[in-house]
Amino acid sequence: MRSYLLRRLVGMIVVIFLVLTIAFVLVRLAPGDPASLMLGPDASPDEVAALRGRLGLDRPILVQYATFLGNALQGDLGRSLFFNQPVLTVLANRAEPTIFLALFSLMVALVIATPVGIWAAYRRGSFLDQASITSAMLAASVPSFLTGLIFQRYLATDLGWFPASGYGGAGADFAERMRHLVLPSITLGITNSALILRFTRASMLDILGEDYVRTARAKGMTERRVVLRHALKNAGIPIITVIGLTFALLVSGAVVTERVFNLPGMGNLVVNAVLRRDYPVIQGTLIVVAGLYVLVNLATDLLYLVVDKRVRY
Amino acid sequence: MTFRATCRASAAVIALCAGGPLAAQGTVDVAIIGDPDTFDPMLSTKDVVSIVTQHVVETLYTFDEGWAVVPLLAADMPAISEDGTTYTIPLREGVGFHDGSTMDSADVVASLERWKDVASRGIAIADNIVRIEATGPHEVAITLDEPYAPLLSLLAFSNSAAAIYPEEIIAPEIDQVVGTGPYRLQAHEPDQYVQLVRFEDYAKPGTEAGERNQTPDEIRFVPVPDTNTRIEGLLSGQFDYADSLSTEAYDRIAASDVAEPVLLEAFGWPVFAVNHKKGLMTDPNIRRAVQAALPYDDMLFAAFGDEKFFQTDGALYPEGWAWHSDAGTELYNLNDPEKAAEYLEQAGYDGQPLRILTSRQYEFHYQMAEVARMALEMAGFSVQLDVVDWATLAQNRDNPDLWDIHITHSPFLPEPALTSSLFSTAREGWDDPAKNEILDRFTAETDPEARQAIYAELQQRVFEDVGMIKIGNFNALQGKARGLEGVHPSPWPAFWNAHRAE
Repeated sequence: MRSYLLRRLVGMIVVIFLVLTIAFVLVRLAPGDPASLMLGPDASPDEVAALRGRLGLDRPILVQYATFLGNALQGDLGRSLFFNQPVLTVLANRAEPTIFLALFSLMVALVIATPVGIWAAYRRGSFLDQASITSAMLAASVPSFLTGLIFQRYLATDLGWFPASGYGGAGADFAERMRHLVLPSITLGITNSALILRFTRASMLDILGEDYVRTARAKGMTERRVVLRHALKNAGIPIITVIGLTFALLVSGAVVTERVFNLPGMGNLVVNAVLRRDYPVIQGTLIVVAGLYVLVNLATDLLYLVVDKRVRY
Repeated sequence: MTFRATCRASAAVIALCAGGPLAAQGTVDVAIIGDPDTFDPMLSTKDVVSIVTQHVVETLYTFDEGWAVVPLLAADMPAISEDGTTYTIPLREGVGFHDGSTMDSADVVASLERWKDVASRGIAIADNIVRIEATGPHEVAITLDEPYAPLLSLLAFSNSAAAIYPEEIIAPEIDQVVGTGPYRLQAHEPDQYVQLVRFEDYAKPGTEAGERNQTPDEIRFVPVPDTNTRIEGLLSGQFDYADSLSTEAYDRIAASDVAEPVLLEAFGWPVFAVNHKKGLMTDPNIRRAVQAALPYDDMLFAAFGDEKFFQTDGALYPEGWAWHSDAGTELYNLNDPEKAAEYLEQAGYDGQPLRILTSRQYEFHYQMAEVARMALEMAGFSVQLDVVDWATLAQNRDNPDLWDIHITHSPFLPEPALTSSLFSTAREGWDDPAKNEILDRFTAETDPEARQAIYAELQQRVFEDVGMIKIGNFNALQGKARGLEGVHPSPWPAFWNAHRAE
């Protein structure tokens, strides 16, 4: 177990280093100049060049890389060119809406997908099974921005049930901020419920055909006990895998939903950073997201130990 | 839990969510297109920076609703020496900064010195400024090497602004937000909001500058980059005002009980900026061919969709402006491929691609480019449409090797000399001797009527030499909550008088 964790740790460091390097190279390969964007349309080339100098963008690329690497090793991801704040501070400020959005939308997805997936497998071929498959396909194929726009227009603008966008604004308390997450969470939850539903159904179908399930029934156990205690527990590993990956995707990939609802999360941050060519923020976000992915993968693998006693590392 | 119980619980949750707190009384929420990444308007020529910072920092002069220059921090219009080179500006007394200090001539001199060192528009005339000096505790004098009539407009403009700061904080980069404006910065969460609160010790200017009643307790600017999100926010009552909306939303906003459209007519002009430094467009006959081939009305229709939102007008300023003239407009909207082909023949055009640089940051730029491409190809051009993201365009347009035409737009600026592309030092590099001679006369002349006549000559030359290609006029759409009053429609709307009708 210890050697397994050590190997995973080394792997994580290698992944982060590669991401760090690729991120650095990619953002500089892309055309576009943050200094031009910062100064506005009427700035002269001389002013742009002067600002590039002040930002350190005129130094040789290898020098910039060495500086970036050295600072990153000390936990310093640089300063945002636009906000003039440390990247870690900028990211920390954006973490709350993104994490809560991911949690809430995962809850929405689980509330929808798990019972329906189990029931659809249990009643294979029934109307509910067919309806669930169709709904899942629909949810997966309608892009989240469209769902978001529809909800925004009808539930926020027309009915006034929810805020249309934002995160509460100046002085908003925690409850108010969370209120602004209701619509985005439902939007994202519905979209992501499709994958979990399909996985849950497929895993349960496999397990429900196993001999030990038949044995459990033959011993006179109730159907609820057979399904929830025996079948679901054994169908858990693929479901946990997909939930883990979905969570990581939600944290890193809620870009469109955050954009539609103007949530000040990491997705919106990275889009703006790309548009503004805020190199340190792009790099910092990619590193954090990569770190998150490897951590979620590790956590998922460790969770297998809890769910299935046969798993050994 | 039964189905009915679940429904009841859900209804309760929705009711809880729906019953959010009311917006604080006296607060105006304004949706803007992006975060003002600086609060120092000297350092930026972005409109979004001007919209926000005009509430916080002030200039010696400003524009009234008819775009005439009027005093703001100055006590009066300047006394101009007979040779037109010295402007003596009296300052208002008892004007306080947000840090508690009081403005005097030392603050003004230090600020104007910085302006000519760091601001685009200040740098542009820095060589003409001999000295800026305090001639009394509340009087400054600006001495030029030759008369320069647009000086006051430059001092009044909120974009690349000659903002006045306390002398103590003057530095190449100012990290404090201290001005004399009616509102002071309370909080800024990047990409979330800018919170301005009333500055209680504000010294109101004279009535010429327009009333600045500080009606709202707070003004909150909320960056909302997505147009649709701004529209939904406006229509749901979340915002009291929303800037820069897509014209497709006009009917929906007009039909709303909550909000109403604000149409800025005519807001600005899309323009095909011409590369005079390098490439195909350095040949006058190629430029004339492009000018003759373009179907301006079709391009405007493709871009704006409804005549409510554009005017096919070649004059560089629309009717109603002092600068309006029809000089040279007989060359506008020819839509004549045969004429264009003749020019191409005279130029000995060999099929080299005409590179049009544009982006989809502003969809109407791209839509105009597509129509232009078809028309130019019909006239015999080979066209290369380079569609890139805005950041790439902002970089590439500074490199004359990479484009022949780039598409941009501008609001109608109060003073023609604020249009940088008229000057040979601009990135377009239009260095026509005849134009330069007219421009020199225009900037040196101080008599308003004489300036209008010279500007007509300048417009004539724009068409004759194809210095730039104006496509037409377009209207901008903003939106406001029904009942909101006190906001004058402008490319840079101000909210210090905003209030709800009783």
